[in-house]
Amino acid sequence: MRNFLGRLKKYSKVSYFSFWFLIIFYLVSFFADILIPYHFDYQFRDKPYHPPSKIHFIDTEGRFHIKPFVYETFVDDPIFRTYKENYSVRYPIKFLVDGPERNVFFIFKTKKYLFGVDAPAGIFLFGTDTYGRDIFSRLLYGSRISLSISIIGVLISFVLGMITGGFAGYFGGITDQVLMRIVEILMVFPSFYLMLSLRAMFPLNLSSIQVYFLIVMILSLIGWAGLARIIRGMVLSIKEEDYVLAARSLGLSHWRILVFHILPNTFSYTITAITISVPGYIIGESALSLLGLGIQEPYPSWGNILSSTVGNIRVISDAPWLLLAGAFIFIILINFNILGDALRNVLDPKNW
Amino acid sequence: MYLTRKTGEMEKILEIKNLYVGRIDGTKILPVLNNIELSIYKGELFCLVGESGSGKTTLALSIIRLLPKSFRILSGEIILCNKKITGISEELIRGLRGKLVSMIFQDPGAYLDPLFNIDTHLRESFHGNPVEFNQLKIKVITEVGLSPEILSVYPHQLSGGQQQRVLIAMALINNPSIIIADEPTTALDVLTTKQIIKLLDQIRIKHNPGMLFITHDLNLALSTGTRIGIMYRGCIVEIFKPNKEKPLHPYTKILMGYSEENHSDISDTTLMDTKQETDEKCIFFERCPEKKPLCNRKVDFIWRDETTGIRCIKYGQNSQM
Ligand SMILES: Nc1ncnc2c1ncn2[C@@H]1O[C@H](COP(=O)(O)OP(=O)(O)OP(=O)(O)O)[C@@H](O)[C@H]1O
Ligand SMILES: [Mg+2]
Repeated sequence: MRNFLGRLKKYSKVSYFSFWFLIIFYLVSFFADILIPYHFDYQFRDKPYHPPSKIHFIDTEGRFHIKPFVYETFVDDPIFRTYKENYSVRYPIKFLVDGPERNVFFIFKTKKYLFGVDAPAGIFLFGTDTYGRDIFSRLLYGSRISLSISIIGVLISFVLGMITGGFAGYFGGITDQVLMRIVEILMVFPSFYLMLSLRAMFPLNLSSIQVYFLIVMILSLIGWAGLARIIRGMVLSIKEEDYVLAARSLGLSHWRILVFHILPNTFSYTITAITISVPGYIIGESALSLLGLGIQEPYPSWGNILSSTVGNIRVISDAPWLLLAGAFIFIILINFNILGDALRNVLDPKNW
Repeated sequence: MYLTRKTGEMEKILEIKNLYVGRIDGTKILPVLNNIELSIYKGELFCLVGESGSGKTTLALSIIRLLPKSFRILSGEIILCNKKITGISEELIRGLRGKLVSMIFQDPGAYLDPLFNIDTHLRESFHGNPVEFNQLKIKVITEVGLSPEILSVYPHQLSGGQQQRVLIAMALINNPSIIIADEPTTALDVLTTKQIIKLLDQIRIKHNPGMLFITHDLNLALSTGTRIGIMYRGCIVEIFKPNKEKPLHPYTKILMGYSEENHSDISDTTLMDTKQETDEKCIFFERCPEKKPLCNRKVDFIWRDETTGIRCIKYGQNSQM
């Protein structure tokens, strides 16, 4: 692992940065439950489309405060929905504040939130949406859904692709024929429509957990086929390599040769391929949620946060912070692409 | 199937009887090996010499039953350490590979898995108790003349000679009864070749396995082998002891420069032709400078004694024609 990081750093500083950025991003999203200042469903009814809160260190009289603070805001112009700050009371940002009880990691209940301000003021790092819900909390919480769908989906695709591609390529014959025809059937459909029709096979009123797993299944079902085909091709050529003959001359079993000598030689490609395909899963989830077929309100995902902006041109001019989910998708996508590109080089022992 | 096959003091490790191997090409079966008769004894270095395409590699791969898909053993028997290995299942033969018989290949770089370091390669080769492995790997790697530091290195970081030594260490680690080396020095320079040959000879003397050394360098074979087999178009035409007797087969004599080839009847097709009509005439008929009308019929390999033999009508029978 150390070697890997060293090589990555040596290969390019940018990809090294991407690697750590993604690790940190995934960690943050994993601990979303702990980090959020508000429950994702908590509404400030009087503060819809609130812009990101201003955080102050210096009060109106020019005094500096070591603790940052915010002011309570009120609607200034109901038509254009602009907010003004009420400078009479300062609300310092506090750690471990009390709020409505909520579930953390589905395990324990708590009233504590990591940070926040006293009511009636609110701290909205990324603003609020139509219902006055804190976008920062929703994005964080939604990232946990979107990112975990992508990772689980990619891993399932990877395993399925490895198994089918490996078997088809190594054993050939009728196994190969059957598996590859299945793969081809999956591949002839444009993936977006395949995704929609697969979703259409299930009822709309599923529980959110069911929807979550349904999306994972749909996305990995679409993803594994291409991977299986490519792995099969690689296995076909690798199994003719002399070192495979050598492994056989050592008396190793077919199983061991396939798993230990042939498939690992496809890794430098497959790991790169799945790294680059992760954003596709995030976008797939977003697309489904955007169409209202994915994660349902009030649960947030990057897709359905974005969906609230659809058909609402004013949002772009008046509440652009609602588009932040798109920005996050974009950032994640770029970082995975940079990393994937670097991995192709770094994972190949010939470049060590 | 256990049989006791001993010849005097010498223990037969490998015995091949009347082996035919063919290559399936569409619906036809093209003969690749014909009527192979061969036995290898414990502690000897048997050199198999022949020109390119004569079927040396095919013979070696038949012995460990790793022939390419299109190749079939048509008939004949291969007996390895008293176990008949023709006609037994892949499962059974797998247990013998590496343990009874190991193979060293021509192009060492290609035969090492680029993803794994040398330590892993040795571990993969080793069939015994894993507890013993750590001691054994040091012993083996020093025995082939490498330092133990090399264990953590990857194949592409080694020179060709070092890679070949690694392959030898891999072949050696289970202490097999027979080691097959298929042109192990072709990819190496002259000096490294000498070192590798010396190493193989040391191993043979120390561990006493039978060794089947395949080469197309007759001089190398003459200087190192205890016995030499000459292959020509899928047949072993002569087996002789280099320092005891002079070879008699016309082909061997041509190879050794004792006599001139008969060019008159050779066309390109007869040289390239693998479809040998062995049932009709001697395989060397066209090129033979000593051919007689009598040679225009099937010729079988004839053992002169336990260890030497020839495939020629003229010299085969003790009665001179
Ligand atoms: N994979 C293969 N597919 C088809 N024919 C093959 C294959 N390998 C070998 N042959 C044929 O089988 C015959 C014997 O080949 P083999 O490799 O045993 O020769 P060789 O004596 O080892 O030659 P060399 O000295 O070049 O290694 C040749 O006529 C060759 O054309
Ligand atoms: Mg060969």
